[in-house]
Amino acid sequence: MEQQSDLIAALATPEAVSAISLVRLSGKGASATVEKLMKLKPGRLTGRKRVVGDLAGIDYLVAISWPCGKSYTGEEMVDLMCHGSPGTARRILEELERNGARLAVAGEFTRRAWMNGRLTSLDVLTLYAKYKEETGAGAGVRSDLSSELSELTSEIEGLIEFSEDHEVSEEEQIAFLLKRTLSRTQALAIKVKSAEVLPRVFLMGPVNAGKSTLFNKLYGEETVLVSSIPGTTRDGATRTISISGRNVEISDSPGSGGETLDGKALELAVGSLKNSDRIVWMDPLCASPSVALSGSRQILTVCSLSDRRETEVIEGWLPVSSITGQGIEKVIEFITATEIESPSWRLERMADLLQEAIFASESQDIALAAEIVSEILREAEEPERCGEAVERALERFCVGK
Amino acid sequence: MRRKVKDAYQVLVIGGGHAGVEAAVAAAVIGCSTVLITPSITRISLMSCNPAIGGIAKGTLVREIDGLGGVAAESADHTALQFRMLNMKKGPAVWGPRVQSDVEEYCLTQREKLRTAGVHIIQGMVVKLVGPNSRIEGVLLSNGRVINAEAFVLATGTFLNGMLHRGKDTWPGGRRGDNSAIALEKDLKQRMFHVKRFKTGTSPRVVRNSIDNSLLEKQVSHDVKFRFSWSTKSGIENRETCWLTRTTGETERIVKENLRQSPLYSGRISGKGPRYCPSFEDKVTKFPDRKGHPIHLEPMGKSSRIMYLNGLSTSLPQAIQEKIVRSLPGFKNAVITAYGYSVEYSCFETGEFDGALKLRDSENLYVSGQILGTSGYEEAAATGLLAGASAARKTLGMRRVVPERISSYLGVMVNDLVTKGTEEPYRLFSSRSENRLNLRQDNADRRVYSLGCALGTLSDEKKKAYGKRERKYIFLRKEISGRRLQGKSVEEICRRPEVSPDDIAGIIGFSPQDINEKEILNSVVLDIKYAGYVKRAEKRHRIRKRYGMVSLSVIDDYDAVQTITIEAREALNRRRPETLSDAEAIPAVRQADMDALVLHLMSGSVSRET
Ligand SMILES: Cc1cc2nc3c(=O)[nH]c(=O)nc-3n(C[C@H](O)[C@H](O)[C@H](O)COP(=O)(O)OP(=O)(O)OC[C@H]3O[C@@H](n4cnc5c(N)ncnc54)[C@H](O)[C@@H]3O)c2cc1C
Repeated sequence: MEQQSDLIAALATPEAVSAISLVRLSGKGASATVEKLMKLKPGRLTGRKRVVGDLAGIDYLVAISWPCGKSYTGEEMVDLMCHGSPGTARRILEELERNGARLAVAGEFTRRAWMNGRLTSLDVLTLYAKYKEETGAGAGVRSDLSSELSELTSEIEGLIEFSEDHEVSEEEQIAFLLKRTLSRTQALAIKVKSAEVLPRVFLMGPVNAGKSTLFNKLYGEETVLVSSIPGTTRDGATRTISISGRNVEISDSPGSGGETLDGKALELAVGSLKNSDRIVWMDPLCASPSVALSGSRQILTVCSLSDRRETEVIEGWLPVSSITGQGIEKVIEFITATEIESPSWRLERMADLLQEAIFASESQDIALAAEIVSEILREAEEPERCGEAVERALERFCVGK
Repeated sequence: MRRKVKDAYQVLVIGGGHAGVEAAVAAAVIGCSTVLITPSITRISLMSCNPAIGGIAKGTLVREIDGLGGVAAESADHTALQFRMLNMKKGPAVWGPRVQSDVEEYCLTQREKLRTAGVHIIQGMVVKLVGPNSRIEGVLLSNGRVINAEAFVLATGTFLNGMLHRGKDTWPGGRRGDNSAIALEKDLKQRMFHVKRFKTGTSPRVVRNSIDNSLLEKQVSHDVKFRFSWSTKSGIENRETCWLTRTTGETERIVKENLRQSPLYSGRISGKGPRYCPSFEDKVTKFPDRKGHPIHLEPMGKSSRIMYLNGLSTSLPQAIQEKIVRSLPGFKNAVITAYGYSVEYSCFETGEFDGALKLRDSENLYVSGQILGTSGYEEAAATGLLAGASAARKTLGMRRVVPERISSYLGVMVNDLVTKGTEEPYRLFSSRSENRLNLRQDNADRRVYSLGCALGTLSDEKKKAYGKRERKYIFLRKEISGRRLQGKSVEEICRRPEVSPDDIAGIIGFSPQDINEKEILNSVVLDIKYAGYVKRAEKRHRIRKRYGMVSLSVIDDYDAVQTITIEAREALNRRRPETLSDAEAIPAVRQADMDALVLHLMSGSVSRET
């Protein structure tokens, strides 16, 4: 028997008055917990079962259970369909908590499904796009792209191995299928892009370090404004800008309003950094909390206001002046230096590879096209390559999914 | 009388089919006194089924045999009637060279190869092994004679308790006109070796001039210079014509109406048949809506009066076969000389043999060919070579050599058979390899050279010839990598899909002197073209191999391994992978976690209590 993670619970439907509400449970003891609360015989909700009854005097409801390996998350799961009043669902959740369950965080069910191999990385990205799409078009949980790619693979292999003795699809058909997959990938990339969590750049440093000036400089001249969201941080402002064709969220960080930012805040910021996030630490005096000097490739130490005479540049610090434009190019380079691993970037890379496969098949090298398609499949599955994109997508899922 | 038959040899091969011949030659080349025992000297390497060698992946395998010092490639070149390169439009990595062969000439040529290698041939039927499993001492022939040896290779093909079927008739036989090896199978079973039943079938043959060619599509050689073996000096000439026809709706109807009479469907044959070389009954059942299955009409030899009907393998009763054949366009007056039939036979279960093709229960008994669960002449020949070499090496006290799946189809096949096993006769496909862009026919000799040296199956003469080719290869490679054209390196130009080796020859000013030089240039260009993909495939292979050997059973609780991420710990605790490579397949486990796991295992921090 597989070992399972701790028991999580969440309301999967909106917290509002509706016909029914759905509370889901996943993890170790899901069935036993509900069996206990519904006063059922042990085992009554083990495997794929359905029971109607009273739960702890709170509600008369329907409980549906799935066994390990067969459920959405791949773990033992129970769905409780109760009456759709917010109070009822809340009380059920409280009761579950008292009995050992923990409230799930956003996207945790899907994350488990992914970790347990129930969903591929590509599936999660597709799901992500589906939830971001108001119309809810497209059916099925499994990613259409995943299955399309495997279908493509078997068509190609059939053509390579059996064209002599069986009737199989022709070269032109392979090119057609490749093109169809390409256009679907591109469409998905656009959808995902419009909704995704972007890599963030934090401009940080003591007051009057010139952060706002640099912010306006980046935002005003070198870049194109994409959208302007009112400041999410207390005093700072956040803008989505596009630098060298990449969307980046740039924040004039807290502290710019007046308080001095201390090492603690920076440490916090560093702790929550994702791989493709960046910090630009600015200080005219080239002094800063030690953590900033840890040599992380995610932090750029900038000696700002370098046009002022009294500023002395210390080694390891980049002299920048928003007035003369000195060093600005280097800052942009730093921000865009690494490949930004985001869901849409991942899909765009897939599209590039598909383009290569089409070219190969048109030059009568179906074997090469096949290799490229399997490379796409491998990359989509490889956690190392895709992991961050998936984590970023999961962050944006709602609780209960 | 130069060769005098002795009573004791170093290596003894049972069965003179495609596997047996390569096994005997390999053992003799390595330096063992070798004997081959087979019932009939005139049927050595007889093609039981279609008169052709090669095909997709199979043709590449034939060239690997050549690169390893085997004989099938040379014999195939020598007896070829026609050459076709399959998959011409699908990329050089999957080109499949295939020749039509003169069946009789092929037997003679192979027999000559045995003589040249110094193999003794004894005509006889082996009925029993002598001695305990762990150390077989000899074999008992049906005439009562015992021949002793130090190592043995079983290569008995479709003969082990072979049963032939056609319609309601069933009779023992290894193939049409040959006896079944019933006693030997019984002996093997009594020795507690595990066997399973497989089946395969063959098509009817017809008299050439009873067919009206005017209704058929003519097929001649492809206009490409080709030969399997590097030692064959010129390209294969077209010496015969083949014909293509298609089944009519009538053909399918006849088969469907009579399915009950087929032993395959009446349940009388229980063995598993090859999915990819199916009987015509299978084709009609599995693709009921399909009409016009292609049927190739192939001569059994130069000017032979008998033609083989490739694609029409059937075991329906004779009268029905008559009807089926006559329903084909141009076959109204066809005269059948031999009817199709199927054969059911015993072969070894997966797990009985290891990567050197030795039976695990024995110290000196090796297996090769169809009895490994394979199907096809090429597969048989290649495994024969390996088994023969392994037996010889054992006898001479040399290290055991196992081919790698990353560098040859032989390696892929042996690895598949040993680790995955097969539920139906195993045939090679290009897609069985994860390194297909490199397992090409043009570079087969370069890929297997080091394996050949390790096995010891390459003669000095062949090694010298290889050295000469290798120098040419290096020369051309340097010519290309040193050069630029209009600001681009020639290597870059090679990688462009539309660029051909001829274009490159033009750029570097190289005009190939012969077919060999042309092919070497071809290899250089393709190696450059696919280098990136091949490198990645090889890296994956190395990692998998390294990880695959490391067991994780020593870790009870991954929470104790604090250097790996919490997600990875959770997933590992839940999935309990057996080896590092299983762990790697889990999505939540990242490369960094893998590194941490490896460190953890190496540091010895794993508790060793118990
Ligand atoms: C009816 C039929 C249909 C086939 N159809 C297909 C097909 O559709 N596709 C395909 O790829 N392949 C097919 N083949 C298989 C192909 O013929 C074999 O894969 C190939 O010949 C195997 O080579 P081998 O060396 O293992 O055995 P074989 O070529 O069968 O040679 C075995 C040799 O061992 C000898 N022998 C057997 N028992 C003894 C004994 N006890 N003592 C001494 N000698 C013995 C036999 O006389 C024979 O010479 C078919 C074979 C048959 C018979």
